[in-house]
Amino acid sequence: MVPGPFGLDPVLWAVLRLVIAVALAAGLVFNGALAQIYLERKIQAIIQDRTGPMHTGPYGLLQTFADAIKLLGKEDIRARLTDHWFFLAAPAIVFAPMLASYVVIPFAPGVMGADLNVGLLYLTTLGSMTVLGIVIAGWASNNKYSLIGGLRSAGQLISYEVPQIVSLVTVVLVVGSLSMTAIVGSQPGLQVNALIIPLAFVTYFIAGLAETNRVPFDLPEAESELVAGFLTEYSGMRWGLFFVAEYGEVTVVSSIIATLWFGGWHGPFTDVHPLLGPALGVLWFTLKTYFFVLVFMWIRATLPRFRIDQLMSFCWKFLIPVTLVNLLVTAILVLAFPTSLVPVAIANWILLFVFAASIPFLQRRRLVSLRARLAAREHAVA
Amino acid sequence: MIEAAFFALLVIGMVGAGAGVVLLNRITGAALLMAFTFLCNAGMFLLLGAETIAMFQVLIYVGAITVLILYGVMFTPQRDRPYALFFQKQTPLAALFVAPIAIAVAVFSFSFRDSTAGPKGADLAPLATSVFRDFAFPFEVASVLLLAAMVGAIVLVKREDE
Repeated sequence: MVPGPFGLDPVLWAVLRLVIAVALAAGLVFNGALAQIYLERKIQAIIQDRTGPMHTGPYGLLQTFADAIKLLGKEDIRARLTDHWFFLAAPAIVFAPMLASYVVIPFAPGVMGADLNVGLLYLTTLGSMTVLGIVIAGWASNNKYSLIGGLRSAGQLISYEVPQIVSLVTVVLVVGSLSMTAIVGSQPGLQVNALIIPLAFVTYFIAGLAETNRVPFDLPEAESELVAGFLTEYSGMRWGLFFVAEYGEVTVVSSIIATLWFGGWHGPFTDVHPLLGPALGVLWFTLKTYFFVLVFMWIRATLPRFRIDQLMSFCWKFLIPVTLVNLLVTAILVLAFPTSLVPVAIANWILLFVFAASIPFLQRRRLVSLRARLAAREHAVA
Repeated sequence: MIEAAFFALLVIGMVGAGAGVVLLNRITGAALLMAFTFLCNAGMFLLLGAETIAMFQVLIYVGAITVLILYGVMFTPQRDRPYALFFQKQTPLAALFVAPIAIAVAVFSFSFRDSTAGPKGADLAPLATSVFRDFAFPFEVASVLLLAAMVGAIVLVKREDE
């Protein structure tokens, strides 16, 4: 029991602290979603040579607020043949684990909900619970497109969890701890993990894109082929909750990247002042996180969507073997050279270049076999 | 005091959801309640100080196995039943078989007296040593078995191309 401030009763303070923490996290998630929707619109507009939202407020800054108020004011529509309780529960099942992830995110030294010694495992666990909500949303909607979206999501998320977790395990091998604070503490100055294990970063980034249902992996909610998939029957704030959860999930994945590979709160001037230092730490952490959020948006404006078979074969035939080889090599080198990380770094950079260089050859082989199969099929038909 | 209250909540959740799995008329509802039972189970592990096992419980059982079961349920044709599975003519026979096991388990579980709660969050290293050192061979054999089952399943359902 932690004694409260102003002579507050410890039990009361424990409850009060929980309320404050949840309110802070919820505020962070909702405001973050508003800011990210604005950023997403502006960045896509810039890339597509448009101006984006301009009329509501200065530079269209109030546009997302207006949209949020519109969503909140909408009538709560539920089709008659949907599965009542599941339909209501699905947005909550998607939203709650995402909100709970904010417990272990290390904003600055001392500024985090709880320093769990299995923090990283906790984050992956919560990430895996989102699937359940999406599958249930697809099923409860009683709509063919929604069901296909839900099933695609189940297949996609469970498949991409494997390379995601294996990439995280590689970091854990190098750092030697699952605690988020210890992982940040192991990367002082410029000695960030991105320089030591870049391949794990690349594979995690790809798997993270798939885990958050972002382009090019947004098949469960593909507008043009599935009329938004599991979101079809949702409207108003329920639909809004799914979207807020998606943006919150993007923030969580970006903050995992910032923490694990880019030194978290470390940055210049963090140890100048006992109060200013943590504030600067929060600033560096937020800047690093939002940089990757911006990269997610840049990718969305740049790449086309995968096809479902490409998605699956990319995961099982390319991403998982790469991550497994990386894990094996890293494990051997960490055991062989327990004092130095230089061999791990050299091996990882070499692996990264080998895999990047092999992509054109793999692509050519895939095309050749595809053409051969198509020719065989045409021959059989004729 | 707080731990006892949480324990009571978890027990109520677990027993209630478990009964719901058996008694519920709708199979998807049963699957979701099963996920809830697993979550309560993870809460029990947390109370015992086994944080890592709790995380794996949620990761594997809630995140993967329940989803696979839902996946299976969605591909199965369903009709509304007028009654739940509980009131069937097999019930007395099943009770006869289950009762001896249930009584033995109950007697065994009430024979514990000491608190088994370990220090919080210190179960990662013991778990790793037991899986990768003490029980490394059974662990590997289990994974070979799973691999064989997976290959078998793929071979069984593979479509013949030409």
